[in-house]
Amino acid sequence: MNREPVILAFCCNWCSYAAADLAGISRLQYPGSIRIIRVMCSGMVHPEMVLHALNKGADGVIVVGCHLGECHYIKGNEMALARAEIIADTLEDLGIAAERFQLTWVSSSEPERLAEAFRAMSARLCALRAPATAEAADAAGEEA
Amino acid sequence: MTQVISIQPVTRIEGHARIDIHLDDAGRVADARLHIAALRGFEQFVVGRPAEEIPRIVSRICGICPWMHHLAAAKAIDNCFAATPPPAGHLLRELCQVLAHVHDKILHFFFLAAPDFLLGAAGDYAARTIMGLARREPELAAEVVRMRQLGQTMLERFAGKAIHPVAAVVGGFAKPMSEAELRDLQAGGQALLDFACRALDYAREKVFARFEDDDLALGTIATGFLGTVDGQGNLRFYDGVLRLMRPDGATSEFAAADYARHLAERVEPWSTAKMVYARAWNEGFSLDPEAPRGVYRVNTLARLNVCDRIATPRAQAELEAFRARFGRPAQGTLLAHWARLIELVYACERVLELLADARIIDPVVRTPAEPRAGRGVGHVEAPRGTLIHDYTTDDDGCITRANLIVGTTHNIAPMNLSVRRAAAGLVAEGEIDAELLNRIEMAVRAYDP
Amino acid sequence: MSDQARPRLSCEWLHACAGCEMALLNCGDRLLGLLDRVSIVHFPLLMDHKYGDRAGAGFDLPRAEIGLVSGGVASREQLALLRTMRESCKTLVAFGTCATHGGIPALRNQWTVDQTLRTVFPEDEGECSSAFDGSSFLDRVYGIDEQVAVDLFLPGCPPRPETIVGVIEALLAGEQPQLTEKSVCEHCPTIRTGKGQRTVRRFLANAEYDPGEPIGSMRCLLEQGLLCMGPVTVGGCGGGETPLCIRARVPCRGCYGPVRRNGNQLLDMLNALASNGIDHRAIVDRRSLLRFSGAHGLLKPPEKRR
Ligand code: SF4
Ligand code: SF4
Ligand code: SF4
Ligand code: FES
Repeated sequence: MNREPVILAFCCNWCSYAAADLAGISRLQYPGSIRIIRVMCSGMVHPEMVLHALNKGADGVIVVGCHLGECHYIKGNEMALARAEIIADTLEDLGIAAERFQLTWVSSSEPERLAEAFRAMSARLCALRAPATAEAADAAGEEA
Repeated sequence: MTQVISIQPVTRIEGHARIDIHLDDAGRVADARLHIAALRGFEQFVVGRPAEEIPRIVSRICGICPWMHHLAAAKAIDNCFAATPPPAGHLLRELCQVLAHVHDKILHFFFLAAPDFLLGAAGDYAARTIMGLARREPELAAEVVRMRQLGQTMLERFAGKAIHPVAAVVGGFAKPMSEAELRDLQAGGQALLDFACRALDYAREKVFARFEDDDLALGTIATGFLGTVDGQGNLRFYDGVLRLMRPDGATSEFAAADYARHLAERVEPWSTAKMVYARAWNEGFSLDPEAPRGVYRVNTLARLNVCDRIATPRAQAELEAFRARFGRPAQGTLLAHWARLIELVYACERVLELLADARIIDPVVRTPAEPRAGRGVGHVEAPRGTLIHDYTTDDDGCITRANLIVGTTHNIAPMNLSVRRAAAGLVAEGEIDAELLNRIEMAVRAYDP
Repeated sequence: MSDQARPRLSCEWLHACAGCEMALLNCGDRLLGLLDRVSIVHFPLLMDHKYGDRAGAGFDLPRAEIGLVSGGVASREQLALLRTMRESCKTLVAFGTCATHGGIPALRNQWTVDQTLRTVFPEDEGECSSAFDGSSFLDRVYGIDEQVAVDLFLPGCPPRPETIVGVIEALLAGEQPQLTEKSVCEHCPTIRTGKGQRTVRRFLANAEYDPGEPIGSMRCLLEQGLLCMGPVTVGGCGGGETPLCIRARVPCRGCYGPVRRNGNQLLDMLNALASNGIDHRAIVDRRSLLRFSGAHGLLKPPEKRR
């Protein structure tokens, strides 16, 4: 794969999106192919949204929420954790490499931690050979 | 330059098939072949599945005889897990199997085959159907439709799902039979038996009595036969030993689990279907129409040829009459229809016999099973012939390997011979027209592929 | 009514098993009534209409108001046949779960065609047939709506006989057929308490119930700890009454496909288990949850890593 992997990041409004803001202000370096989508809470990211993104051409999906115990909706990130297990288990069942999904916790004061998570995921995806699915290959306009 | 005439699709059979007739320069049949092309992949995609799920997956091999695959798989998985069903478990399974035979035989004879005989092999194709029959003989057609439905609803009322069933489970059956269900099934079974006897009388008068020598010669070949019998040589559908008969009538018997020593599978380069031949005869395999080697048939005619007798009285009387007229083994391909209706009578009698067995309402219907590594072969007689399922499981009781030999697989080789014989016999007589092509198809239809 | 004046019905099967057609033929008197009202113009199981000269331009199928197609699409020939059906039929119905979601045959989408060929025709059994040059197969088994526009989806493996006739009758009357959008559970009379086992076990022993009592007195199979896919499967198999497998006291395996047409029975089921605190890792073969709906790219071979 020659281009940078496209990564969709679902960031919760309260901690992780604030961290992303701060990363921008602080001019931290991370790959330009990351697309951030702000959600109110990591707990609202349904597994089907992750699958949909991968099937429609994203190389990877990262869900970012507040540290456990700090979710602004009390248990939203615990829900995200339970769902992440399901996603991690089922991606392989569905023929998609598990590396294409990640869940991580970042507080609003940890922009470096967020940037590092983005860089690490990008590197991991570069190591994979092909885009996630044939459909994704079409979407990305390259041969699988 | 040779010319190829294709019949596509072969109609009034289950699934897609094509016949190619190759003509030489002089317009004579150089070859004729039946192609059945599909890659279903069941042997592949059962791999990794928990074995107890297999009976409800492989049923989808065929929607006309799903019970046969369901039961052959259930018996095979019993063996993988060394689970022995209690007596009621076996009786209930067999009851469902014979009921499924009933609907299948009515379907095949009246819906698929009979239009050729009752409405004529020639003439407008659009009229040569069960719909045409309904217009010509509305009462008969209505009864046929209702009797098929009766057989199916009896199954559904008792076993839940009639098409792609679920009630046979590893170790036995999913639910016992209640007294009320027993009475319901007895009434239905009696109605089916009465119909079966009428159907046979009707067919004897309207169809079989008109079989001319020409008809009997259509697609006729000399082959061996394979079927299932019990220790006394009685016809069996659900269990028993396999009996292989040579073309001259000599027989040998073996347990289904030993099938690979007696039968062998091969793939011909021109075909996308596997074929099976009699390895036990040590003569190899050849489809040379003058001197076929290793070729045997399965299905209704084969079963009636290999069994010594039928254990139910009406069917036995019919078998005796059939044998007195055509000998044993009977080779006429179209006689498979006659044999089909004799088996219909047997199946109905067997329904009542099973329902009369007091053990059938025993509440203990299933032995709990433990997953384990093993190998299991299960076999039943399907309407289309002997059906063999062979599975291997790992320590978790999941499938690692599967081999399935279905009725049609055994019959591919003889069907090719019959098609060739029919084509050669008919084409020599003249112009190739729609009627002639339909007559070639009739040779295939007799096998009920 | 004369044959010409009747609305025409055309039926074709692709990567199918004939079970859907059997269901149609199981309608008894309603079937006879239907046969009086339509003119069947093409139906390989029942009538001798042929495809015409193969050397010519593809398949020759008669025009029809209603077309039923059962089975998914797995070969180039099936694809060409499906396209011809689409062109010749005014209303095209995806008939059965194979047509709507791939059905059981789409389980093979977990493997490539080459792998499947090697498994089905191991080398030691003589030559692998030259008729299998591979090019006659598509890369996977498709639902028919992945290849052509579909007007109506009639799921079920097979669909219920009365439902099939009901759909055809509604189409004849120019009405939109009404099919349930509720799940199998919503048609299931078993007792649910909301408290069940924390895990699911394999179906190696029968459920617990009193055979003398009606189904309504049996505890929900999922609550008994048996994996039952009722929650994530669209209903209809029992015709408004008890779902068919439940009648046999056997858990549902999802043969009608997902509740929402684009749903994913695997994800939905694991989600349902997770939200009820049931350990989804106890399931031995998760991919089996897609055994009826593996088309639409849901089942595919494992992604190869560099
Ligand atoms: S949906 Fe079921 S019954 Fe219909 S063709 Fe497919 S496997 Fe057969
Ligand atoms: S989970 Fe199964 S047993 Fe329970 S209500 Fe749903 S369909 Fe019925
Ligand atoms: S209960 Fe489930 S698997 Fe059984 S027939 Fe109904 S939908 Fe199909
Ligand atoms: S608000 Fe951040 S994870 Fe719930």
